Amino acid sequence: MATGRYTSDLEEGDRLGPVEVVISPFQVREYCHANEMHQPCFQDDPNPIVPPSMAHLEKLRFYTLYCPEGCGPNARVHYTFDVRWHGALRAGTPLAVEGVVRSRSMKRGREYMDVDITMREKATGRLLVEYRDTVCLSYREAAKDAA
Amino acid sequence: MELRPGDEIRARPRIMTRERMRWYVDALPTVEANDGRVHFSVPTIHDDDEYAKGQGLPGIISDGMITTNWILDLLLRSFGTQVLEDPGALVTKFIAPVYENVPITCALRVEGVEALPEGGSRLALKVWAEDGAGRIVTVGTAALRVN
Repeated sequence: MATGRYTSDLEEGDRLGPVEVVISPFQVREYCHANEMHQPCFQDDPNPIVPPSMAHLEKLRFYTLYCPEGCGPNARVHYTFDVRWHGALRAGTPLAVEGVVRSRSMKRGREYMDVDITMREKATGRLLVEYRDTVCLSYREAAKDAA
Repeated sequence: MELRPGDEIRARPRIMTRERMRWYVDALPTVEANDGRVHFSVPTIHDDDEYAKGQGLPGIISDGMITTNWILDLLLRSFGTQVLEDPGALVTKFIAPVYENVPITCALRVEGVEALPEGGSRLALKVWAEDGAGRIVTVGTAALRVN
């Protein structure tokens, strides 16, 4: 287990969570507003749908919890966002969220890390969202090519 | 709307302004705090010129999740928010940096249409975001059920 300091310290197999999460309507509205997504299902519904892109924030939640000192020597760069949703996730739904560091690998001299995250309805265990996040840990090298 | 492989839908161009980058940056601590107030981020490569230059960049670059969310917005505008009620998927890869004031156009192309026995159809889509010169900066796929 390599949690507790930097993101770059995480190792393959490290488990993150599970944590209990309830995403609020405020969080959905703010996130969607910042991205200019003004659909009524996000902004006007008292029980809005959580956009699947917000799964990315669960990775950031784990970084805050398990890597409180930040990125490490280099800023990381987000490389791939990969989400599957199995139905509408509504704000206010109690969730069990967990993650695992699926892999760390070298590719063309750069190091990448995959983190898999699942979001389940806490009461039933029903899988609602699966997310795989890939970051490049050697940012200075990757900065020339990607954001 | 009857869709066929090869059909393309393009969003209106948006300029990746400094403000749009900052809206996203500050949304993250605001969502994390979840207290109804606005919170501001520590300096990042997305909103702080000096920090970005310190990371080897010529200037600030947008967070890849902005173009991901703009692509999601295009999907919702094209096919309706009902696509979030049924199983779906979205994958995006950030293959080039997006600098300040670059015009970004999101687009999708129908790659496959599968009629479902229960009605409706399953769409396989290529999605991307391109700059003003037509250079792709974000590329990916989506799978959606439409009625």
